[in-house]
Amino acid sequence: MNRKIVFRAAVASLLLTVTAACGSGSSGSSSSASGKAYKIAFIQGVSGDAFYITMQCGVQAEAKAEGVTVTTQGPQKFDPTLQTPILQSVIASKPDAILIAPTDVSSMQQPIAQAKANGIKVVLVDTTVSDPSVAVSAIASDNSGGGKAAFDAVKKLAPQGGKVLVVGVQPGISTTDARDKGFADAAKADPAFTYLGVQYSQNDPAKAASIVSAALQKDPDIVGIFASNLFSAEGTATGVRQAGKQNKVKIIGFDAGPDQVRALKDGTVQALIAQQPATIGSDGIQQAVKALKGESTTASIKTGFTIVTKANLNSAAGKAAVYKAGC
Amino acid sequence: MATTTGGGTNTVITDASRGQRLRRLQALQILVLLAVTMTVFGIARPDTFLTVFNIRGIVQNTSIYAVLGVGMTFVIITGGIDLSIGSVLVFSGVVAAKTMDAMGGQGWGTALAGAAVACCCGLGWGLFNGFMIAKAKVPALVVTLGTLSAALGFAQIITKGLDLRSAPQVLVSKVGFGNVVWQIPTLSVIAAVVVVVGIVLLHRTRFGLYTYAVGSNAEAGRRVGLDVDLHLIKVYALAGLLAGFAGILNLAFFQSTTIGGQSNTPLNVIAGVAIGGTSLFGGVGSVFGTVVGLFIPIVLQNGFVQTNVQPFWQQVVVGAVLIAVVYVDQKRRTAAQRGKSPRFSFLKGRTR
Repeated sequence: MNRKIVFRAAVASLLLTVTAACGSGSSGSSSSASGKAYKIAFIQGVSGDAFYITMQCGVQAEAKAEGVTVTTQGPQKFDPTLQTPILQSVIASKPDAILIAPTDVSSMQQPIAQAKANGIKVVLVDTTVSDPSVAVSAIASDNSGGGKAAFDAVKKLAPQGGKVLVVGVQPGISTTDARDKGFADAAKADPAFTYLGVQYSQNDPAKAASIVSAALQKDPDIVGIFASNLFSAEGTATGVRQAGKQNKVKIIGFDAGPDQVRALKDGTVQALIAQQPATIGSDGIQQAVKALKGESTTASIKTGFTIVTKANLNSAAGKAAVYKAGC
Repeated sequence: MATTTGGGTNTVITDASRGQRLRRLQALQILVLLAVTMTVFGIARPDTFLTVFNIRGIVQNTSIYAVLGVGMTFVIITGGIDLSIGSVLVFSGVVAAKTMDAMGGQGWGTALAGAAVACCCGLGWGLFNGFMIAKAKVPALVVTLGTLSAALGFAQIITKGLDLRSAPQVLVSKVGFGNVVWQIPTLSVIAAVVVVVGIVLLHRTRFGLYTYAVGSNAEAGRRVGLDVDLHLIKVYALAGLLAGFAGILNLAFFQSTTIGGQSNTPLNVIAGVAIGGTSLFGGVGSVFGTVVGLFIPIVLQNGFVQTNVQPFWQQVVVGAVLIAVVYVDQKRRTAAQRGKSPRFSFLKGRTR
């Protein structure tokens, strides 16, 4: 009989947690009076990341302006095995449109096609899939151009030339692949620089740190490292600090999250190539609403970059370029 | 000595039947919990939660876990643990993808060859685990922690850390995303077959009886002439084989070897097994309970997404359910052992 009580208590506490959680989550959805209140779902590449939070800010601001409702969900890791069930649940909840940052070019293709098959308009934000025609629009930074900009920054900081390395995330992510390639192409074209190739951190700062400290053991004369995403840059900074080469190796980070900005202030990272996630988000909402209203959409939109250095960090442009930790 | 042997036989058999009665109760409770959870979400989102599309998605997302869960249930019933299944899954998927790539072709021949290769890889790792645990007497936690690391390492060596995406078309369209009939996904039917075979194997065969016996009292089993070491090797081999098989299913579903994505898989599966009423001390458990236990986290995540709850809540609730369920189980067992609860008198005088 004791067992029964405990079991009931367990069920009750589960129910409580569920209802409490429901209560806490259902805030922030206000529908405007103007036009039809479309329901749009935004699926991040990973939740709790400054880049996607800033994008979410752009999404929410634009949604408010357009008078549509937006809900945001994201997997705990940037991984298709975690994103697929979330996408399926979102499709089942029947939104009018989905904004999604796919976590893999091929794994997410079929699940996204399912959304389209269910009559949902899809907009790809930031990342893409192998066949982006399933979406009404794909909005992303011009990543190859971003990689080239990163090499230009290296050239400016280390004009004498030398060995350069790329610390990437993992192969198969369209955005980082393009950044790495943009950097590689620019580096190979310049005879003053030796391109050492790309090493993958699997989005793990600890792994990036160990890669970089090992690379500095092998080639102590590396002059520049391009860390092509947030976690790689964090780890690269740690690795360089471990090797005690803070002033000799120039690190170019991609993205401008709170940690990179701190690293920039500390002088561990010498330049940041900031994307414009808020613009990607607001463009995404605009395209989705256009598609829902039956207007024509732009198949591919490329957004630009801001190069942030210690010099322009405190200017208005620099402040606007830095990613937010909350809206 | 003769009397001890007779007693041993007795223990083995009654322990198994006790286990079966106990697990039915626990599995039933978990089933109630699952039903309650689904009802709550069904009420919260009546138009979207209990739709064919959504249920299909939930079942599909549980399928690969279920295949892994069958093997894990056997391992845990013997009182062991297998942390390596996620890595073995990745390794098998990688070798299968390489093989299918080398063969070329998008047809069934290539796909079946890939499946066979994946199963062989899994079986190999399972045999290695089993041998090290049973014969070399290295603790299961250590052995499988080692193979967790090594199998993933080999997978990354083979691929240079680069996810492979060369699944034959037929595998993706028919197995990964196809339906057998109507809205019943092929992937889930395959998983259901594995589950049914697992249930029969555990509850209706000598192999299953021995598994309970090893878990409830290995020494007693040894004394009645049961080759405990050999049986342990077989059980770990089975878990490995199923992880290998899950590797090809994973490849079909994600069209990628998901090298970075399986680090939490063994823990999720172990949580499902424990929620489903299989005792981590061994000797008690059921495959059916495991399947129900695996559904709970998936249903919670799905429901939370639909009710627009922060995704992190799922982990909190799953953790709470896990602890609550094992607590209830433990409470019942100690009460029964003290002989306080007449309903569970069959547990009196356990020989552990």
